[in-house]
Amino acid sequence: MLSDNSHLSDQELLLAADGELPPARAGQVASHLAGCWTCRVRKGEIEASIGEFVHAYRGDLDPLLPSPAGPRALLKAQLAEMTAERAAAPPTWRTRWLHGPNPRYAGAALFLAVLALLIYLRPGFESRRAFHVVPVSFPEPSLTPGVAAGVNRDQICHSVPPKNRIVPASLQRRVFEEYGISGAEPRAYEVDYLITPALGGADDIRNLWPQSYSSAVWNARVKDALEDRLHDLVCDGRLDLATAQRDISSDWIAAYKKYFETDRPLQ
Amino acid sequence: MFEDKTIPDLTAAGVSSTEEAKPTPLEEEVVALFDQLQDRLMRYLFSTGVPVQDGEEIVQEVFLALFQHLQRGKSRRNLRAWVFQVAHNLSVKRYVTKLRDRKHLVDPGGAPEADSFVDRAPNPEDQLLRNQSHARLQSVFRALPEQDRRCLSLRAEGLTYREIGQILDMSLGAVALSLGRSLARFTRAEER
Repeated sequence: MLSDNSHLSDQELLLAADGELPPARAGQVASHLAGCWTCRVRKGEIEASIGEFVHAYRGDLDPLLPSPAGPRALLKAQLAEMTAERAAAPPTWRTRWLHGPNPRYAGAALFLAVLALLIYLRPGFESRRAFHVVPVSFPEPSLTPGVAAGVNRDQICHSVPPKNRIVPASLQRRVFEEYGISGAEPRAYEVDYLITPALGGADDIRNLWPQSYSSAVWNARVKDALEDRLHDLVCDGRLDLATAQRDISSDWIAAYKKYFETDRPLQ
Repeated sequence: MFEDKTIPDLTAAGVSSTEEAKPTPLEEEVVALFDQLQDRLMRYLFSTGVPVQDGEEIVQEVFLALFQHLQRGKSRRNLRAWVFQVAHNLSVKRYVTKLRDRKHLVDPGGAPEADSFVDRAPNPEDQLLRNQSHARLQSVFRALPEQDRRCLSLRAEGLTYREIGQILDMSLGAVALSLGRSLARFTRAEER
């Protein structure tokens, strides 16, 4: 309990103002405030500081906000694309389970799931991310953020890198493992550099991802066209190398649309 | 917080075309969250020094990650904090990447990067300084340690102490101390 002579600390006054005190303590603080002018005035001063800060923060940052219309439309388009690609991808155990057409097989499915779990948990079973959702057009940012090698524009433009550098088989296997793609599926994918070596991309697993050939719209061949375009722009001096690397690694589809000035692949 | 929220009907507001398939409920849910949170995310990113274009890219990336997160049937618990946390992590990651690229990428013929992450001009904080009535507050804000600025900005965006702690990987007590420290500085500056 608070004695009549003690005052609340600024820390407690702030917690009270923010509604962050534990309920029991909040009751004690409220009754103290009701009887203590000093603490009430101090609480008012703290709230006035908060008010002034929020006024400055909002008043000066809000004018910098761009219109959300463009990003919103882009997001909707990308979500639709991802949904379409997921629907086109071979069903995983998860989609079969969640969208299984026939409840009569639920018992059998449950049995298989338990069996799989037992196998998975048995000693010596190699842990792996086999149930990872398989991406087709978008790299997983946490796995493939894109990595540039320490090269400059002259090195890129005055040498002739192989058109499609072969990714070592061991590295390809690691990429497929990371993305949880089983042994039968890799033929449908190109293990692609997110930042192509022709733009200074590194031979690093963080720059590699399995891109689908079968994707209906945004597939590996479309990305190849973007890579050629960006290489030409950089070497013609019309585009900064760092910008090209950033654009292709952050969202290659948006980069394609930007540099080809189109919403659809030109094929 | 958001798991029980009614998802607004966005079909009328969205870009429609006869060729486009109707958005799935999950797509609509993610776009609804984008509508609710993108301004707040952008302000938070600006306040930590992220340029506009990077901010837009980060926000886009956040909601694509959210879509994948929900597609995989992962936790829907407090998606607001989840979204801010991913945005925070991506912005920090970009900052680190840009610092690393600056060391490695030397482009002798090229111009310096147009939107350098930390010392671009004008930045939002500089713009705040233009407003004389807020100059004192802003100078105090700029002088705060980075973590204190982040705490303050997240609180200004309406996040609870618990959410701020989750996003910045801090304890509740550390969040309270940080906010108390910052506000004490504001109050002292006003008393001078």
